[in-house]
Amino acid sequence: MEFSFGASATKILTTTGFSSLEGGDIIMLVVACLLLYLAIWKKFEPLLLLPIGFGCLLANIPMSMMASTDAGGLLNFFYQGIKHEILPPLIFLGVGALTDFGPLLANPATLLLGAAAQVGVYVTLIGAVLLGFNMHEASAIGIIGGADGPTSIFIASKLAPHLLAPIAVAAYSYMSLVPLIQPPIMRLLTTEKERKIKMAQLKPISQTVKILFPVVVTIVCCLMLPGVTPLLGMLMLGNLFRESGVTARLHETSETHLINIVTILLALAVGSSMTADSFLRLETLKIIVLGLLAFCIATAGGVLFGKLMCKMTGGRVNPLIGSAGVSAVPMAARVSQKVGAEADSSNFLLMHAMGPNVAGVIGSAVAAGVFISLFGDIPAVTEPHAAIADVIGTVEPGIKAAIAQVADVAAGVN
Amino acid sequence: MEASFLAAVYVSILAITVIFIVLVILIFTIQALVKLIPYKAPPPAPARPQTASSASGDQDDHVAAITATLAMHMGKSPSEFRIVNISQP
Repeated sequence: MEFSFGASATKILTTTGFSSLEGGDIIMLVVACLLLYLAIWKKFEPLLLLPIGFGCLLANIPMSMMASTDAGGLLNFFYQGIKHEILPPLIFLGVGALTDFGPLLANPATLLLGAAAQVGVYVTLIGAVLLGFNMHEASAIGIIGGADGPTSIFIASKLAPHLLAPIAVAAYSYMSLVPLIQPPIMRLLTTEKERKIKMAQLKPISQTVKILFPVVVTIVCCLMLPGVTPLLGMLMLGNLFRESGVTARLHETSETHLINIVTILLALAVGSSMTADSFLRLETLKIIVLGLLAFCIATAGGVLFGKLMCKMTGGRVNPLIGSAGVSAVPMAARVSQKVGAEADSSNFLLMHAMGPNVAGVIGSAVAAGVFISLFGDIPAVTEPHAAIADVIGTVEPGIKAAIAQVADVAAGVN
Repeated sequence: MEASFLAAVYVSILAITVIFIVLVILIFTIQALVKLIPYKAPPPAPARPQTASSASGDQDDHVAAITATLAMHMGKSPSEFRIVNISQP
């Protein structure tokens, strides 16, 4: 082979990323560095913003084949986990394994605070429609108000995949800003006297109830809103690992290694979707503003409903715990504790706020389920095992008959 | 735009109603569960005498391991001697 130094040098130069670097890529590299800065130096949700920022960095290096849309690229494989709705439910499995529903079971009325905080989702949905988004997009944007990253990603990937990157970044950014966003709203909507209310100690709950709870929630919620089953079902499975006491290894794996591994994959995949084409748009700015609105209204909704409960119970509920209904476990509960302790340092609201906090996780999952029921492509066919039926339909008739025969025999045995 | 706005309002009202219905059902279910299966405080653990002969659980394992190691070291059968006490400094 003939070797020409000049031609080879030119070829190398033309295949460097610098030769293809455009203005949009440069801006996105700056955005990636900003996310890394916020994660490392400002400690804003570092477990998520750091891999998201680095994923964004990788995705915007030209010719690296690392964007989520580059078929065959490494991060494209990770992105399949979002596209096929695998990673967010696995995060929920870990969250379930980490969550103690005891405070919620001890005071089930706090579930209403988790529901009230979802008002942020719907006001934002209306706002998004007014800003020109269609209903699918508006639903995906509104769910940011649920303050639940995996749910936001799950809904965005289902209803508006082209908006996944800005929605995920907005959701996680505002979740990290909960300690800054919530306190002024909480102080504005409550009086000093209300903030000083001390709540009665929570009663202990039987371990059997804790074991039955995830099973009951799965049956009730997933029968009412089948679309939410991947999220809520996995959340409850993780919690059953925790409470059953017979799956210590699965519980330990779910709450540590599994959730960590999935977080890396999920965050890198989200970051890889932050390309100039998908991110540098006017819509991104609108989503960032709407996300902030969603968080503020969700907080206000929770606090106002807390005030209502305070009035109805004759002052036995501190309205500050209402703000914890926005999910964001356990940061929102910590904020309730902090603001309550500012008014009265002997007031301990943390465990009381954990009730609405975990109720917020269920509430935002149910809100997601409503959106999926309304706008998702849930199959109308009620035939059981439809997926297997599809497989059987593709094989030759002889094998199909054999499978049917085996199924009949199995049914006879059972 | 007006039609979209109205649709969004309807969806919001419907959705928040569904959420409250689902969560109210859950509240009643939890209340029923808590009433049917009340919390019972666990019985206090019986006090155990501090002797090796009545040791159980981890201490049994320690006695077995120490007995086996001593037997090997002294070249005797484990049945020829008995550890009667393990005390920690």
